[in-house]
Amino acid sequence: MVGLNNSGKSTIVSLLKSDGDRNSEIVPTIGLNIEHFRYQQVLFTMFDMSGQGKNRYLWERYYKNCDGIIFVIDSSDRLRLAVAKEELNLLLQHPDISGRKVPILFLANKMDVREALSSVKIANAFGLEKIKDKPWHIFATSALTGEGLQNGIEWFTEQLSQSDLNN
Amino acid sequence: MAPVSKRDKKEEEEGGNIFQNLDKTSVLQDARTFNDTPVNPRKCTPILTKILYLLNQGEQLGTTEATEAFFAMTKLFQSKNAVLRRMVYLGIKELSTLAEDVIIVTSSLTKDMTGKEDLYRAAAIRALCSITDATMLQTIERYMKQAIVDKNPSVASAALVSSLHMSKTAGDVVKRWVNEAQEAINSDNVMVQYHALGLLYHIRKTDRLAVNKLVAKLTRMNLKSPFAVCMLIRIACKQLEKDGGDYADSPLFDFVESCLRHKSETVTYEAAAALVNLRNTTARQVAPAVSVLQLFCSSSKPVLRFAAVRTLNKVATTHPPVVTSCNFDLENLITDSNRSIATLAITTLLKTGAESAVDRLMKQIASFVSEISDEFKIVVVQAIRALCLKFPRKHSTLMTFLSAMLRDEGGLEYKASIADTIITIIEDNPEAKEIGLAHLCEFIEDCEHVSLAVRILHLLGKEGPKTIQPSRYIRFIYNRVILEIAVIRAAAVSALAQFGALCPDLLPNILVLLARCQMDTDDEVRDRATYYYHLLKLQEKGLIFNYIVDPMQVCLVSLEKSLAQQVHDKVPTKFDLKSVPPAPVVSTTEDTAKETIPEGSISSAPNRIVPVQSTVSSYAEKLQGVPGLQSIPGTLFHVSEPIELTESETEYVVTCTKLTYPHHLVLQFECKNTLSDQLLENVRVQIEASEGYRIVKEIPIPKLPYNETHCAYVVLQFPEQLSLTVTNFGATLRFIVKDCDPSTGIPDADDGYDDDYMLEDVEISISDQIEKVSMDREAFDRAWEAASDEDFTESEDTFNLPGMSGLEQAVTKVVKFLALEPTGLTKVSERSSFTLCLPGMFRGGVEVLIRAKLAVANNGVSMQFTVRSAHSDIAELICAAVG
Repeated sequence: MVGLNNSGKSTIVSLLKSDGDRNSEIVPTIGLNIEHFRYQQVLFTMFDMSGQGKNRYLWERYYKNCDGIIFVIDSSDRLRLAVAKEELNLLLQHPDISGRKVPILFLANKMDVREALSSVKIANAFGLEKIKDKPWHIFATSALTGEGLQNGIEWFTEQLSQSDLNN
Repeated sequence: MAPVSKRDKKEEEEGGNIFQNLDKTSVLQDARTFNDTPVNPRKCTPILTKILYLLNQGEQLGTTEATEAFFAMTKLFQSKNAVLRRMVYLGIKELSTLAEDVIIVTSSLTKDMTGKEDLYRAAAIRALCSITDATMLQTIERYMKQAIVDKNPSVASAALVSSLHMSKTAGDVVKRWVNEAQEAINSDNVMVQYHALGLLYHIRKTDRLAVNKLVAKLTRMNLKSPFAVCMLIRIACKQLEKDGGDYADSPLFDFVESCLRHKSETVTYEAAAALVNLRNTTARQVAPAVSVLQLFCSSSKPVLRFAAVRTLNKVATTHPPVVTSCNFDLENLITDSNRSIATLAITTLLKTGAESAVDRLMKQIASFVSEISDEFKIVVVQAIRALCLKFPRKHSTLMTFLSAMLRDEGGLEYKASIADTIITIIEDNPEAKEIGLAHLCEFIEDCEHVSLAVRILHLLGKEGPKTIQPSRYIRFIYNRVILEIAVIRAAAVSALAQFGALCPDLLPNILVLLARCQMDTDDEVRDRATYYYHLLKLQEKGLIFNYIVDPMQVCLVSLEKSLAQQVHDKVPTKFDLKSVPPAPVVSTTEDTAKETIPEGSISSAPNRIVPVQSTVSSYAEKLQGVPGLQSIPGTLFHVSEPIELTESETEYVVTCTKLTYPHHLVLQFECKNTLSDQLLENVRVQIEASEGYRIVKEIPIPKLPYNETHCAYVVLQFPEQLSLTVTNFGATLRFIVKDCDPSTGIPDADDGYDDDYMLEDVEISISDQIEKVSMDREAFDRAWEAASDEDFTESEDTFNLPGMSGLEQAVTKVVKFLALEPTGLTKVSERSSFTLCLPGMFRGGVEVLIRAKLAVANNGVSMQFTVRSAHSDIAELICAAVG
């Protein structure tokens, strides 16, 4: 799971962990958090990466062995959409990602905020239609309420199990 | 048969260490398993162990290798296997200094350290602190503070100890945790309390007042943890030593003494050891501690017996009479089944015992000397050395014993200590000389330590010619030329030359031997042989004396530099050897200074005096870098001790170092600005030069900000008339002050105002113009005789030194005044008169020989002071300066 800082990655992870093990308080991640949990009968091992600018170059260390990518976007932060897009492009061009059919789940988070952009607008802004070699989908979510999250993860699990079957 | 033995061998290999034949590359290859999902702890744990094993065996990992392994390891955080997780923590700690981007695991570790799993928490803290640097520490500060006061003792201890480690790199941040540490000191857990005290002391140790307060508070508190009490005893003793003076009514001393009655044996021992190691204690103050140690001597626990006897062994050198009371208990320990205890007991007895007991004790040692380790053998050797000096008559027994030890197996350090002891005995006791040299000759016949063989050959060269029958040593020395490696052969050639120089009747034979050595395969050996051969052949006494018996001793570094300069400049003038400063004299007092460092010091590294290679050459190098100082003709000749021209706690601190050149004097003023709200500019020291001196140049400090130290220089030319050189200069510090903001250091306004500050006078004494020369007594006597005729002049005067209580004091005073190295200074206090010989070199390379005959008179000490020098003015000047 990647995305800019303050986009809500760690919050989403803590929501997905259905056991009582939730972190009551989310602080900026330094480096990464590795979470291992079961969500609706599927075992997830989530590498929750730090989104801070100075730590983003560390994402690529974990590209090689990942089965799928969740890219979280703060849809209320119009200013930094361009930064997020730039990071996405870097990710897509990375040799460990570009040749593989890795499913990418985009979460347009913070839809509860009033000035949030819709998922369609973000998809257009990111030029997601240009991604042809990988399955992807974008969902508008709210990590505070959990809205939209379930749909997104259901799609994601489906994609993952399909690619498992193909291999 | 063959296949069987092969299998045996294989089994042998496998039976030992399973990690023995690990290969770095293949282990790192295996580490890729870490990337597999799901993680297999069974497979990963041994691989991690192998990596740690390799690192601990000293295997070097490159940055890329380490980083790759580190990141692969981060994947293992997925697994909840406790064993694997603990290995991961260890792995992080080991790789934290080798790999890049180790902060990647910060969040993972903070989660573990604050999580519910107690098994993880302490280790996570330690790993976290190893990956955190000063800049990142702030982000985890909150967690650390919580952990220090955590209810779980292992967590609190881990946090405290990690803080202690962190304070090396981020002292300021750790200082803010003092409240938490204070709370932790009230913990019920013995370890937490101990660690908390450690951290608290570390935070405050630079502030003496704060430490005093801390100790005062804690001594009243009655700490539960014996470890903390031990620590407190050490801190208290450190404070006592610092405060100095009388311990009689010090509460700290009372506290340490009260600990002698503590219920924990550890504390009682610590207190006893601390008391006996304190300097300046009276016998009465030490007595209770010794009786505690005496009690331990008969304890059933070997460790207590060992500790007690080891400590008593040390005390025996400082307070022998006190230890005598334990002699009975020590006698019982001689037959202790633990050899270490027995050795220490015997050596202690040797130190305190009477002459009559020596033979019996030596027999005891001989019975088991082969069973003890080198380290303890050295203890025995040192005891024998002390014994030889104490009872010179016993030298034959002891020397035989030493030579037997010398023939046994042993490491270099052990052998060196024996050889040292024999050499000391030879020097101290003329009767033992022949026997000692014979033993050493025998030893070098079969000596595997090159450095020792070289030293002994040198000694034979020096001492051999003075014996009754010098020829007997030639065979031993020449054998070396035939049988040994080049380094030893070269040393042997030099030794042979000494015999040739000092024993005229042996000269023809020596010349034959040296001629043979000229055929040697090694350059150095051939060079030396040729050099000595031709010198000896000339049979000219002066040459032989100056170049073989007592060769020049110049500072090699300076010599090399001067020669390089000469070649570089292509000056047509001849190279003058006298312009090179003489070799720095390694003072013999350093050895004794080293021994006085207290054993129980808290800081692990004792501030050992490292012999400076050469102050003169290091200063010369420094001055070369100062623009304006390179133009001084000649090379730097002498450097004085720095002298403080201000009180130590004033606004400006100035220390002066006097640097002497053949014709110039450079004063180096090291200035420090201690005012945070002032920026000083154009800082210079104004000198009121006395008659005859001429100021050549002044080099000011352009800018002197707060808390910085820079140097200003004044270059003076020495007066032509030597009698004017010893004088005083008035000195004033002059500068422009600019008031500035204390936090930024930026001046408030552009223009400042002039100000000055009175300094103490700079004193130019005779000692600034003479450099010490190292010479032994015989060389001095020869030089003295040689100086009686020729072109030397003599100046003599008699002085009365009133108010001197004894010879020793007078000698110290004279030596200190002239700052020269006395020759053959031993056992001054036992005699009623003493001749002090001081060789020196006046600036410009003029040899100076000073002889002072001191005798105890009715009300003080009288001194006949004679100076011989090639330059009559110098002789007179020195004589006049003493008066």
